[in-house]
This record gives sequence, structure tokens and C-alpha cells, in this order.
Amino acid sequence: MTMPLTVNAPVDSNAAPFLAVEHLTVAFGDTATAVKAVDDVSLTISRGEILALVGESGCGKSTLGYSLLGIVPPPGKATEGSIRFKGRDVVRLSKHEFDTMRGRDISMVFQGAMNAFNPVLTIGAQVEHILDAHPEVYPQRAEGRAYFNHLLHLVQLQPDRIWRSFESQLSGGMKQRVAIAVALLLKPELVILDEPTTALDVLNQRLVIDVLKDLHAELGTTVLFVTHDLAVVAELATRVAVMYAGKLVETGTVDEIFTRGGRRHPYVAALIDAIPSVLKSGLTVRPIGGSVPSLADPPPGCRFAPRCRLAEPECHVTEPPLLGDRHGHRVACHVINRSLEGLSQ
Amino acid sequence: MSMLEIQNVTHTYSSGTGRPVLKDVSLEAGRGDVVAIVGESGCGKTTLGRMIAGLYSPTGGSISFDGQDISALRGRARAAWRRKVQMIHQDPYGSLNPGLTIGATLSPGMLKYGLATRANVQERMLALLKAVGLDATTDFLQRYPHQLSGGQRQRAAIARSIALEPELIVADEVTSMLDVSMRVAILDLLLTFKKDRGITFVFISHDFGVVRYFAQGGRIAVMFFGYIVEEGPTEEVITAPKHPYTHMLLEAIPIPDPAMARERAQAEGDGRLTGDPADSGCVFANRCPLARARCRAERPALVDQGGGHSTACHFSDEVPPLLHVELANGEAA
Ligand SMILES: Nc1ncnc2c1ncn2[C@@H]1O[C@H](COP(=O)(O)OP(=O)(O)OP(=O)(O)O)[C@@H](O)[C@H]1O
Ligand SMILES: Nc1ncnc2c1ncn2[C@@H]1O[C@H](COP(=O)(O)OP(=O)(O)OP(=O)(O)O)[C@@H](O)[C@H]1O
Ligand code: SF4
Ligand SMILES: [Mg+2]
Ligand SMILES: [Mg+2]
Repeated sequence: MTMPLTVNAPVDSNAAPFLAVEHLTVAFGDTATAVKAVDDVSLTISRGEILALVGESGCGKSTLGYSLLGIVPPPGKATEGSIRFKGRDVVRLSKHEFDTMRGRDISMVFQGAMNAFNPVLTIGAQVEHILDAHPEVYPQRAEGRAYFNHLLHLVQLQPDRIWRSFESQLSGGMKQRVAIAVALLLKPELVILDEPTTALDVLNQRLVIDVLKDLHAELGTTVLFVTHDLAVVAELATRVAVMYAGKLVETGTVDEIFTRGGRRHPYVAALIDAIPSVLKSGLTVRPIGGSVPSLADPPPGCRFAPRCRLAEPECHVTEPPLLGDRHGHRVACHVINRSLEGLSQ
Repeated sequence: MSMLEIQNVTHTYSSGTGRPVLKDVSLEAGRGDVVAIVGESGCGKTTLGRMIAGLYSPTGGSISFDGQDISALRGRARAAWRRKVQMIHQDPYGSLNPGLTIGATLSPGMLKYGLATRANVQERMLALLKAVGLDATTDFLQRYPHQLSGGQRQRAAIARSIALEPELIVADEVTSMLDVSMRVAILDLLLTFKKDRGITFVFISHDFGVVRYFAQGGRIAVMFFGYIVEEGPTEEVITAPKHPYTHMLLEAIPIPDPAMARERAQAEGDGRLTGDPADSGCVFANRCPLARARCRAERPALVDQGGGHSTACHFSDEVPPLLHVELANGEAA
């Protein structure tokens, strides 16, 4: 089952952002051949926002999500940087600290979570196990049960039916919504959803999007969701962070990212143009061409340069810094940033 | 006579619930056509595709290829038809045996049907790899499916399907496991084969964006729990659907335009997105925003509403225009 993984951090420091990732690098393997799945990424999450983390397969999205919970699978580990959550550095917590500080701050629904339930227990029994393990959240078990029922209503499922069901009796779309309800059971402040709509059909995607919006409106939980589907981003996110080959290449509000002709990273513009959508007749779809480079041996300069329509000689040599305007819209591109003044790191 | 004629096909799995998975499905495809089949998960798309490819036989009705009922084919005629109709499966492991190298997957069929000789089979396989955009090297032929990325695996499955020089390909959700950026490349690859070799496609997908791209100039059949509820020219069905179910699907699709998405969210539809089919009357009645007494009493037949655009709905003319189409038109005006 998708046991919510939790990190409990002391409550203080109102000055710091809700969550701040600073110069984080996460590598798999020893230094010579290490795959840097997350490479010098800095990013903040504000309380109450819905942040989408987007990028092609293998760009490091899940790895970044795992590192917020300190659960990057070995041999992967955070080699540099910090993750400050409510004033405490998550990277520096020991495994023991994670385990003993069982609380309710961050939880995660894993990629493919639909297949992560225990097949021989009812959903109800699995929820009871979680409640048993967390008396600090629900001293009265009945309270926990009632809250789970409330969550099931919010995700548009019938509580009595779900409690009695085994995983095999639920459709993929239902399982995804149950997994979301389970992740919210301990009232986390931040929930991470890894590919919550992938592998669902159109109607179930719509349900998950609507349900997440309702949950967010009702509970105000901060959401980080990982996806490669830009249409889902446009529907659900308030802010967007785009990764390419382990690097953060753009962050901004959902409108900044999607506005045609605005200041955008060429990768983001290309990705949007490459989506076959009901809004477009076939003629207006343009494939990107090429593929994400190997993270074991990324190209020098801008990692997108080999595929970029705007690339200039400088792009193949020097890595472009991620520069922000005064609204905090950040783009890492030599060409796009050149003509603008007053940008800063 | 069309190349592919599906007539009143009904199917009930013996191991299933006893409810028919396909009901009275009729559909045709002429040489070089693209017919897309769309509908929610479990509506019967793969079942129909597998029947067209001859992997299952329907419990009722018939499927003909070049005028001959495929269930009646024997001997040489059956072998010839087997070569002409190929399927690319939803899960690439359905097309590629994980225990065989790419070379061992491709060569036996080519040899069996005399499309290559022992002497030139290697050369022919390398040409195939090149045609589908893979490394045309002997090293690649030695690789096993698990050693390939998702995109490479799907290209290898396509290579397998075109190796036998088929006339019809059933492509089942070929891009659903791929990254957005790779989808168009795979669709373009299949479209080249359609253009250059005149291959006919039955294209199964639940993604209307992908269907609009692939079935340009072709046709779409929309299925709901085993019934075809709407069928017509691609652009028409996608921009001006005439069945409430197709309308619901199209309004539900996430669109990559935040401003438009917000406007759409204001005007929420009132049909039910999930739920079981109705047992009598219109199969969609349990979920339909337009449903009324007649829908419960009388099953609507699939009727041509003009211009080869058919729907099975008593109240087709009440289906409203699509909001995103209106918004886009408003912007253009
Ligand atoms: N356990 C591991 N050992 C070695 N490399 C790994 C491991 N897990 C991930 N990687 C590598 O790290 C990179 C980033 O992987 P990650 O799963 O974070 O990507 P992602 O953006 O979530 O992709 P997807 O969209 O496919 O889920 C990939 O190149 C991957 O091969
Ligand atoms: N071998 C089988 N035995 C019994 N029932 C089956 C079998 N294969 C499919 N079914 C059932 O038949 C119905 C149609 O399944 P099918 O796989 O054709 O749907 P689909 O439209 O392709 O769905 P998806 O979009 O999820 O691939 C479903 O209810 C499914 O559970
Ligand atoms: S026949 Fe009735 S229930 Fe069926 S789709 Fe039309 S209006 Fe809806
Ligand atoms: Mg991932
Ligand atoms: Mg299927």
C-alpha cells in the first residue's frame, strides 16, 4: 500500500519559504561514472500552491520528489546542496531521524501507485493499519476513520464500498483516487503526487484533475505533482518547474509558461508545440526531434543545445544560468535572456 | 466491397461476466484508409482489434478481408491473410517476445513467407531497423527487448509489424506508453508507411489529440461499452460531435491552454463521468445529461445523420457545441 512517508520538522522560522531546495545534486553511482539525476537544482515551494514538475522521461523528476522525502533509492544520494523544510535541512536527517520522527508533514503517492496496494487485504484493513501506526495523529481511531470517509467523498468514491473492496475490485482510476485519499489521511502539509494521471483514460484523468482541485480548495494542502503531460499542468498547476536532463530550465506561473510569444525556454516552447491536442489540427504539431541526452555523459554548455532551434555557438560551450525577472519567472537560456535587463540569479 | 468489413460482430468472453463485450458492431475500412477507434478503458477496443487481426473469433457476426470471411479461410489462403494483417499491441511485450533478440523476432516470418532468403535476411533486417529509425547495426539485432528504451521498443514492435509487408495494421495504443515528445515521431513513422506503402490502419486510442493527428482525413468510431455510438469523418467528430458521450469525452480532455481550461472549468458539464452501462434502452442513459423516458424505453439505432456521420442517440440535435471550439472560434473572430 502507498504508506504515506512522513517527515516531521519542528515548527518555527516564519521568514524561510515553506520548502527550499538549494543547489541540490543527487547522483547514482561513484563519481567517475555517476548519473546526476538532479544537477544543481534550486527551487522553492510556497505554502498552499500547486506546483507542477514537468519534463521528459528520465529527466530526474521522480528523483527530485524522492529526495524531498529522503528516500532516493541506493546507490543514489544527495551529494551536494540542501533541502530546507520549515527551517530544517532534510538532506542532513539520518534515516533513524526520519523513522523516529513519524509525523504528518509530507506524504507521497508514487508513480504507478495504482499497483501498490496489498492484494490480500481490503482497503479498509490497510487504512486501519496506518491508523494503528499513528496514534499521535488520531488518538481515537474512529476519528481517523471518519476523516478517511470524508476524503473518499471528496475524491468522489463511496466510502462503504471502498472499505470492503480488495484492490482487484477497483478500476485503475478508482485506485488512483483511493491512493490520493490515503496520502491525505494523516493531514500532511505537503503531498507529492508522481504521475497521478498517467495510464488513465480521458474521463478518469478528468476526475483526478477535478478531485485534486476540490481537495486543494477544501484542505489547502500544498501539492507538488510530477508529470510529463503539459495539458494536465495547464489544468491543475498554479506554478510550474520544468526539468531537462537533470537541470531546472524554467520556473514560472502557469500563465508565464504557456503564453505564446512570452519569455520562455526554447525547450518549453518546443514541448508545447509537440503535443498532439484536440485544439490543434494535425498541421500545427511540430515534433522536437532527437532525445534527452545520457545523464552519465551530458553535452557541454546548454544540455538542450543539440536539439534547440535557437542554439548559437555559445550554447554548446557555456552553461546558461537560470535567471529570473522581478516576478520570479526564471529561464536558463543564453538567447532568450540576452536582450533582457535586470535579470538576476 | 471494402478491404475490411466488420458485420454485426458480437462477442462474449466465456471467462468473463457473461455480458457481451462487443454488441452488433459494424465497421468498414477501404484500402489505405485510417479508421480510429476511441472510447474509455474497457469499452472493447482491444477485443475488436484482436478480432480484426484474427487472434480471437467473435461469438456472433462476421469479419471479412478482401471479401472473404476470415473464419472460413483455410490452408494457403489463411496463411496469405495472416501475413497481410498485423497488429502492434498496447503493451510492447505483446508484440515482442522478451526471450528473443530483435533479430530472432524479425527473421523467422520473413524467411517463412519468402520475403528474405538466408543469404539476405540480415541485410533486410538492417534495412527495417533503418526504416523505423533504429540503429541499423548487427549489434542492435543481438539485443533483447529489456535492453531497449520504451521508444526503441515501440519502434522494434513497428519493425516486426511491417517486416511481413502487411496491407492492414491494427495499432493498439501505440503511443500511450511513450513520452509526449516521442509520440509525434512514432505517429509520423506510421504515417510514412501509410503514405508510401498504402497500408490501411485500424488505430486504437483513447487520446483524441493523438487520433486527430493520426486520422487526419480518415474516420473515427466512438465506442461505449461494446456499442459504436458515433462514427464519422475525423474532423467532424472531433469538432462537432453528435453523440452526448463523444461530447462528454471531448469536454473532459485536459487542454494545454490555462486560460481556456479555466473558462471550461466554470461551465462544468452535468453528465456522469463514470458508471455502468444501462441494461435496456440506450446504453449511455445512466450517464447521459440529455437522457429522458424514451432513452430508457427504446434503444437508439446507429443512424446516418447526413454526410456519412452516424450516431446512436434519440436526441442528437440537442448535443451542444463544444466549449473549447466556441472559445477558439471567438478568439479567431
Ligand atoms: N536506481 C537507479 N540507479 C541508477 N540510475 C537511476 C536509478 N533511478 C533513476 N536513475 C536514473 O536517474 C535519471 C532520472 O530518473 P527519474 O526516475 O528521476 O526520472 P523521471 O523524470 O522521473 O522519469 P520518468 O518520467 O520516466 O518517470 C534517469 O536517467 C535514470 O536512469
Ligand atoms: N480474455 C478476457 N477474458 C474475459 N474478459 C475480458 C478478456 N479480455 C478483456 N475482457 C473484458 O472485456 C472488456 C473489454 O476489454 P478490452 O481490453 O477490449 O477494452 P479496451 O477498450 O481495450 O480497454 P483499455 O482502454 O483499458 O485497453 C473489459 O470489460 C475487459 O475486462
Ligand atoms: S439516446 Fe438518450 S441517453 Fe442515449 S445518448 Fe442520446 S440522449 Fe443520451
Ligand atoms: Mg518518474
Ligand atoms: Mg485496450
